[in-house]
Amino acid sequence: MNQFLYDGTPEGLVSAIASILDGGGDPMQAHLAVRQDTLFEEGLFLRTDSAMAEALFERLRQRSPDAVYTLWYFMMAEADDLETSLLRYIALAFEHGDRVNGYLTHPDVKAIVATARKAGRELHRMKGLLRFEQLRDGTWLARMEPDHNIIQPLAQHFSKRLRGQTWFICDLRRRSAVRWDGHALSFGTLEQFSRPDVSEEEKAVRQMWQSFFKTIAIPERKNPRLQKSNMPAKYWKYLTEKQGE
Amino acid sequence: MELQEKITILSGAARYDASCASSGCSTDTPRGGTGNTSQGGICHSWADDGRCISLLKILLSNDCRYDCAYCVNRSSNPVPRASFTAREVVDLTMDFYRRNYIEGLFLSSAVNVSPDHTMEAMVRVAEILRNEERFGGYIHLKIIPGSSPELVRRAGLAADRISVNIELPSSESLQRLAPQKKKEAILAPMKLIGAEAGASLVEQRKSRKAPRFAPAGQSTQMIIGASPETDLQILRLSQGLYQRMNLKRVYYSAFVPVNSDNRLPVLAAPPLLREHRLYQADWLLRFYGFSAEEILSDEAPNLDESFDPKTAWALRNPGFFPVEVNRADYATLLRVPGIGVTSARRIITARRFAPISPEGMKKIGVVMKRAKYFITCSGRPFEKVEQQPARLRQRLLLSDGTEAKLPRQLVLPGLG
Repeated sequence: MNQFLYDGTPEGLVSAIASILDGGGDPMQAHLAVRQDTLFEEGLFLRTDSAMAEALFERLRQRSPDAVYTLWYFMMAEADDLETSLLRYIALAFEHGDRVNGYLTHPDVKAIVATARKAGRELHRMKGLLRFEQLRDGTWLARMEPDHNIIQPLAQHFSKRLRGQTWFICDLRRRSAVRWDGHALSFGTLEQFSRPDVSEEEKAVRQMWQSFFKTIAIPERKNPRLQKSNMPAKYWKYLTEKQGE
Repeated sequence: MELQEKITILSGAARYDASCASSGCSTDTPRGGTGNTSQGGICHSWADDGRCISLLKILLSNDCRYDCAYCVNRSSNPVPRASFTAREVVDLTMDFYRRNYIEGLFLSSAVNVSPDHTMEAMVRVAEILRNEERFGGYIHLKIIPGSSPELVRRAGLAADRISVNIELPSSESLQRLAPQKKKEAILAPMKLIGAEAGASLVEQRKSRKAPRFAPAGQSTQMIIGASPETDLQILRLSQGLYQRMNLKRVYYSAFVPVNSDNRLPVLAAPPLLREHRLYQADWLLRFYGFSAEEILSDEAPNLDESFDPKTAWALRNPGFFPVEVNRADYATLLRVPGIGVTSARRIITARRFAPISPEGMKKIGVVMKRAKYFITCSGRPFEKVEQQPARLRQRLLLSDGTEAKLPRQLVLPGLG
């Protein structure tokens, strides 16, 4: 059997895929999984090699920019148990180039593209649902707990849109944060988080938004089911308009 | 009056406008400014009626001299009146935008002194946002029928999208329910906008710096169910607007009785199902290559309540089916119930790798519970293709049993 193991890091995953593809065996017959360190585990452990991961990325970029894009979104999903599918997807990307994403009848392509698409969807959704609040010192804070690790592209989006403000975005699920100072983004982790006080103006604006939100709905067309299906309740925790309901 | 109270009055008065789109153009944040737009648009919230909130949708004033029968703001309606100053709307827009509540502003207004007076005040709000605040987010301005071409031009230069409401689907209904609004006053700015937008595109091909006129195009809206037009009349009108006026969108707004007036029908509830079916038919016009005359006819001038318009067309045209998914071209695939624009494209791409199997159809995202009656995969049918339309209708109805039954529209005698 062509069983392979890697250390569970994103970099390790790409590097493992690179060495399997370089190994000359049939990638469609190989299996790749995270090493669990159990006694009975079988398979060849592939050590993480950043240079190898980097080189694979570069080759893939030449051969199929679309696949690199998909891979980028796929990584945001932090999906479990799809390593073998990813290996096969990348092998197919080298074979077919950008057309690979159209091969949806292939189970591995379907799995990878669908996972990547889900991450992309949440990124798009969060561009709308993220809420900034103004703190006492004039900086802005946004909190979220997304299913996917989307903080990096999300910060990119707001670094263009809200360029003139100094802000933080915190992913409280992953304890990660990003700061925009008007010029550059800096990423980091959160040790502990306590929410600072908001400005007086913030409270007034928040109230105006809540009034707007309430009256903009047509009472005769009330439809909580539709509202929930468009805006799942898991996002309500940080939505200004859904506070105090 | 407190700002809070004004917001309640003037957003409550604006909520019957259906449009909230923020899509159709993509611009960068101005130097030293705030905000950009994104091609696909971004929804920021969903209101209690399930409709998306993308823009701060609000009236500059609800103080109206017109007395249109269907409108909540009609002059004879005893509702509280309020008006914003330009600065109030500008600050509200910026305060909301900085918090990422909204994608931009959708400003409309009741008409008090004169169309030009109102239009000028609205254009000023947009110009302050663009020039003083250096705001790069989305602006949608409603054009007041009867305002001067110069103001329409200024509106188009400041806004991403502009729209003139056609209000009702025929000039007779307009005359009966909104006697102070004239068909010509509505169509003239529509034509002007079309011409200006076209000219601006030509200029932009010559120079990237040429001013952009309403880059996200123009839209319109009509009220459904306040007047006696058939769905065929409505779809023909929309078809004409798309083809001749080059509109981006026509919005249909189910009539919500907000006044009692003996010229209006008495409804148990807004005709939401009819509105839904009209939107489905509108999609067929814009993306599926259907014409209004294929969807409806003089013999059957109204959309079927039980079936979506594409399924209804398929049931009337059994000779077109079954369609072989591994051979049919894009336009043919689009006519199959359960296959949309996305899945038709995916079928075309996927079958270049290998013939598509029934399992593959599901992976692609085809709605098989509808499509299976109308297709074959490499010659094999999924279901015994029903030759008897009546039985097929019944089977489709049974499989679609989950669809919520929305109240029918009640039309009382004395109308039309």
